[in-house]
Amino acid sequence: MKSNNKRKLKKADFIILGLAAVLVIYIVYRIKVTIRYEWAWEILPKYIFRFDDKLGRWVSAAIFSGFIMTIKLSIWGIILGTAIGIVMGILRVHTELFGRVISRVYVDLIRNIPPLVLVFIFYFFFSSQILDNLGLEELVKASGPVIQSILTVIFIKPSLFNEFLSAVLSIALYEGAYITEIVRAGIESIPKGQWEAGHAIGLSRYRQFRHIILPQALRNVLPPLSGQFISTIKDSAIVSVISVPELSFQGMQVMASTYASFETWIVITGLYFILTFSCAAFFGRLLQRLKAAD
Amino acid sequence: MNSKITGDTIISTKNISKTFSRDIKALEKVSLEVKQKEVVVIIGPSGSGKSTLLRCLNGLEEIDEGSITIDNTPLDGHHHNRLKIRTEVGMVFQNFNLFPHMTVGDNIRIGPRHVRKQNQAEADQITDELLKKVGIYDKIDAYPRQLSGGQQQRVAIARALAMNPLIMLFDEPTSALDPEMVGEVLEVMKDLAHEGMTMLVVTHEMGFAREVGDRIIFMDEGKIVEENSIDDFFDNPEEKRSKQFLSKILHNGGC
Ligand SMILES: Nc1ncnc2c1ncn2[C@@H]1O[C@H](COP(=O)(O)OP(=O)(O)OP(=O)(O)O)[C@@H](O)[C@H]1O
Ligand SMILES: [Mg+2]
Repeated sequence: MKSNNKRKLKKADFIILGLAAVLVIYIVYRIKVTIRYEWAWEILPKYIFRFDDKLGRWVSAAIFSGFIMTIKLSIWGIILGTAIGIVMGILRVHTELFGRVISRVYVDLIRNIPPLVLVFIFYFFFSSQILDNLGLEELVKASGPVIQSILTVIFIKPSLFNEFLSAVLSIALYEGAYITEIVRAGIESIPKGQWEAGHAIGLSRYRQFRHIILPQALRNVLPPLSGQFISTIKDSAIVSVISVPELSFQGMQVMASTYASFETWIVITGLYFILTFSCAAFFGRLLQRLKAAD
Repeated sequence: MNSKITGDTIISTKNISKTFSRDIKALEKVSLEVKQKEVVVIIGPSGSGKSTLLRCLNGLEEIDEGSITIDNTPLDGHHHNRLKIRTEVGMVFQNFNLFPHMTVGDNIRIGPRHVRKQNQAEADQITDELLKKVGIYDKIDAYPRQLSGGQQQRVAIARALAMNPLIMLFDEPTSALDPEMVGEVLEVMKDLAHEGMTMLVVTHEMGFAREVGDRIIFMDEGKIVEENSIDDFFDNPEEKRSKQFLSKILHNGGC
């Protein structure tokens, strides 16, 4: 029944497909006839991978390193942002007023600052004032080559350490505010009777949360959370303004030196799509698994 | 009164009051004594404070005034006392409140495992025994939503019993059930009463009250209006308000 409904194309679907086709044809026509765009796909591959003569093997060039950098930023941003969101979300539904106020102020503050401003605040204030005084960059530079190469793999090369840290922190704080709201809504979606039943059998507040509320809330927050993770991947482009060499930043660099703007951005868009689509597919699978387990 | 009652007071409340926001007096100077093995039935119109009274007894609501003592332990600010009372007082809710993400077995095991700190084998044994007792051992691996309302409420009773409580509180345990399932839940409760469990039961099931109740409490507007033996209450109520209430529920065939 269900799959039948899904597979069958209705009249409206044909109209939409037709309109989309017209749009594509129009764009292609504009590019080809009106702008007379000279496609130069052949210059792009060497900006994705190039053959290093000294090393004697293929190495990643600007675009592919940007792709990897975006993945790293997204993963760290998601991990930290989720941690912040869980802590702040729990504080928000906590009985103590103090915790509720902290969480409230955090969420309202972040949501009312343009993300671009947040990135700059972090870069110019946090990074230059606090990180420099902590001497993290020196510490990284002074560490041995093994540690340095490990740090380079999981974070970034030592010379860009502060930029990377500011970038990850601002992404995490930004996304964390939205995740806080998702977590709060997830916890509040569980009926009060569930806490009360836990209370009545003598479970501590922590155990009520851990064994009864959290597992149920987790299911409810998974769909909005996956949406937020996808946003994180896209939002990470914003740190290009502080010269973190992620996908968008590299795209601009390549475009500046090749003038192949359409080709570059088509490739960049495709790469973002691969990331967001895999993320969506992963969570779609996970949700289906959970549903099937029911 | 019943001869099984030994005479030791197990629940004692003195002048407890509870006011919710906007001056709703849910309880007003309620004093109550319940003896071991007694089955006390609580009735009264909607909003009269029946649920609030039960909820105060296991610390789900904080009282504003008065004192509560259960099994010689005062329900005061001491965490240790509060926890002891929570584990000694079992509660069964109108809407069952089973944990939907756990199997029937896990619903029952969770208390013994995490509060009583029993090992897996001990907890399993108790779970098996209790499920046999309430007659749904075959559903041990089912999830709550796969059960009928009556079965779910029996699981909820077993879950409370797994803590080996001294007292069981029932807040309208059969009002959410389809009529044909009321009997199976009442049967389990009657068995408990016959075994000598101390019970406070908010219910309008008069048959149940007459069969196993030792005493009835009629509440209205946050106060205990009448406290009487079951037979006297039904056949010859002392208070005018009790009479009015009784005639109402008897006409409607129960609430
Ligand atoms: N959490 C709460 N917040 C505010 N008011 C409440 C709360 N719980 C109960 N009340 C109020 O306290 C009064 C007593 O409520 P309670 O639930 O104890 O009545 P009840 O006798 O159990 O009624 P019912 O038969 O409808 O279950 C009612 O006026 C109710 O509206
Ligand atoms: Mg009630």
